[in-house]
Amino acid sequence: MARTLIRRLIYGLIAVLGVAVLSFLAEFVVPGDPARAIAPRATSAAVLENIRIQLHLNRPLIVQFGDYFTALFHGNLGTSYVQRQSVLSLIAPRLAATGWLALAGVVAEVLLGASLGLLATLYPRVRAAVSALNLTLLAVPQFVVGLILLLIFGFQLHMAPVTGGAGPAEIVLPALTLGLAGAPWYAQIVADQLSDSLSSAYVRTAVAKGLTDRHILRHHVLRNVLSPALTMIGMDLGSYLSGVVTVEVVFGWPGIGLLAVESLQNLDRPVVMGTVIVGAVAVVFFNLVADLLRMYVDPRTRQEQA
Amino acid sequence: MTASPNASSSSAPQVAVAEGPVLEVDDLRVRYGGLLAVDGASLQVPRGQAVALIGETSSGKSSLALGVARLLTPSASVTGRVSIDGCDATALTGREFRTRRAGLLGYIAQDAMAALNPVQPVGRQIGELFRVHRGMSRRQASEQAVRELARVRIDHPEIVARRYPHQLSGGMRQRVMIAMAVALSPPLLIADESTTALDVSTQADILALLGVLKAETGAGILWITHDMGVVAEFADWVAVMYAGRIVEQGPVRAIFDQPGHPYTDGLLRTRRDLRTGQPGAPLFQVAGAPPALTSAPRTGCAFAPRCPRASARCTEQAPPLAVTAPGCLVACHHPVGPAGQPAAGLAGGDEEERS
Repeated sequence: MARTLIRRLIYGLIAVLGVAVLSFLAEFVVPGDPARAIAPRATSAAVLENIRIQLHLNRPLIVQFGDYFTALFHGNLGTSYVQRQSVLSLIAPRLAATGWLALAGVVAEVLLGASLGLLATLYPRVRAAVSALNLTLLAVPQFVVGLILLLIFGFQLHMAPVTGGAGPAEIVLPALTLGLAGAPWYAQIVADQLSDSLSSAYVRTAVAKGLTDRHILRHHVLRNVLSPALTMIGMDLGSYLSGVVTVEVVFGWPGIGLLAVESLQNLDRPVVMGTVIVGAVAVVFFNLVADLLRMYVDPRTRQEQA
Repeated sequence: MTASPNASSSSAPQVAVAEGPVLEVDDLRVRYGGLLAVDGASLQVPRGQAVALIGETSSGKSSLALGVARLLTPSASVTGRVSIDGCDATALTGREFRTRRAGLLGYIAQDAMAALNPVQPVGRQIGELFRVHRGMSRRQASEQAVRELARVRIDHPEIVARRYPHQLSGGMRQRVMIAMAVALSPPLLIADESTTALDVSTQADILALLGVLKAETGAGILWITHDMGVVAEFADWVAVMYAGRIVEQGPVRAIFDQPGHPYTDGLLRTRRDLRTGQPGAPLFQVAGAPPALTSAPRTGCAFAPRCPRASARCTEQAPPLAVTAPGCLVACHHPVGPAGQPAAGLAGGDEEERS
């Protein structure tokens, strides 16, 4: 167990580092001059040059690379070009906002998806309707779902705020959008696992033991269904935390995805880097947590101790 | 005895307690949608004895066993009377049967790996029976589970109880299945090809264990198999199924010495060739393939198209099970005669046809 954990942590670190290096280089491929983005429109060449010197943009790429990663290994994500604040202090509140949204989104998609999957398995009559709904939800892009929800519940029914922000009232629609977009996957996995499990030999054994349907569902079926869903929950939490860009833009949710978009537009390289690295860490972390949970739930995925 | 109620009981071995059979199946029919898998089978399992139910794939033997145990999917329909240990199981409601079933019959599945819950330690799966049906606490149940594991001759039962199915060997898993089946000491055990997936020496161990348990508890065993070797070693009685019907039944010795039905005769000839035949010599085979399931009961004998002894009568009129020898029932218009001389003729013709 401990060895698996250490190995996975090392792999994760390599992955995060790889992502950081690639996105650092990618930023230099993006056309545009950060100095111009920062400076007012009509600025003299001398002032621009001055800004470049201040931001060390005049140095060779390799030196900037070295500087950035030396600072990164000291836990320093740098300072925003635009806001003159440390990247960490910019990201922290945004990460919290996105965290809440990711959590609410995962809860919504799991609840919706599991209900749909249960319905489709236990009531064959609604199976066709459920798969049609699944297909529709899969086919419609996330931002369209978001806009439709916003139009109906925000502008028409005035049940939800339309102005953006990060509060309990504002979270409902973006979370629902994530939930609707993610639900078909969970519906499918729950329906598949459930029907596999219900027709399995171990459920027959449980019936032969004279257990009630309810007992069998709770003690023999549920855990076998849960295990693959856990992996997906982990992946979703990670990827949502790394920025649900479209949803945050549509609803004006001040999360890390919105921050990434803003800072990309401003060519605010340190902030872009910060959001990318934090996102990569989130993905790695939640995948690891999901795998650990899965090992707990399903003993077959544990490695045999020598 | 395996014979239906009208059969003579004089040949039943004296081991049987005179309390009546532990299982009486009367005119059982199992349908899957329109298909008739079991077509009016009657069968008895005496106390403390093993009845082997043999037949090819899709002959209906598993459907019969699962029908008796009420383990078929809800889409299957079962009619007929099943009486377990004097209790008319078919008269019980689903709920009544559920509360009593683990005390009435134990079911030992073919593939223990699939039949055990992969995410629960085996001790808990055994203990569950005592928690649910005997109202034991978690602790009492887990102690009882360890005793049950010891009962099926598992070494270090307290360690094994904490293991998950995938951490055990095939033989151990089958022992765990058996421990679950016998936990509440049911009078009837149903073993559905329970040794088919095991290697030969493990198979022998499991058979020996079941023999011991049978003697200890006096349970009757209904053993579904297509392995004639297992039948010869383990069973007291044999019932042969073909296309959903029981075509022959009787004591193992009598049937192995003198099969009455041409189908049984063919099966036994194949086995004899396998054991004593020269390497490379042609193996006796029953010609043709078993018939597909039909929706309506057949007219005539289902084996007739493959039977070298068939006559016009066989395709028109279904032969009833009739007593041929003490304790032996055969459903055939032209049963194989004594001393195998008709069988020799039939085999010769058949081999020529095939070569």
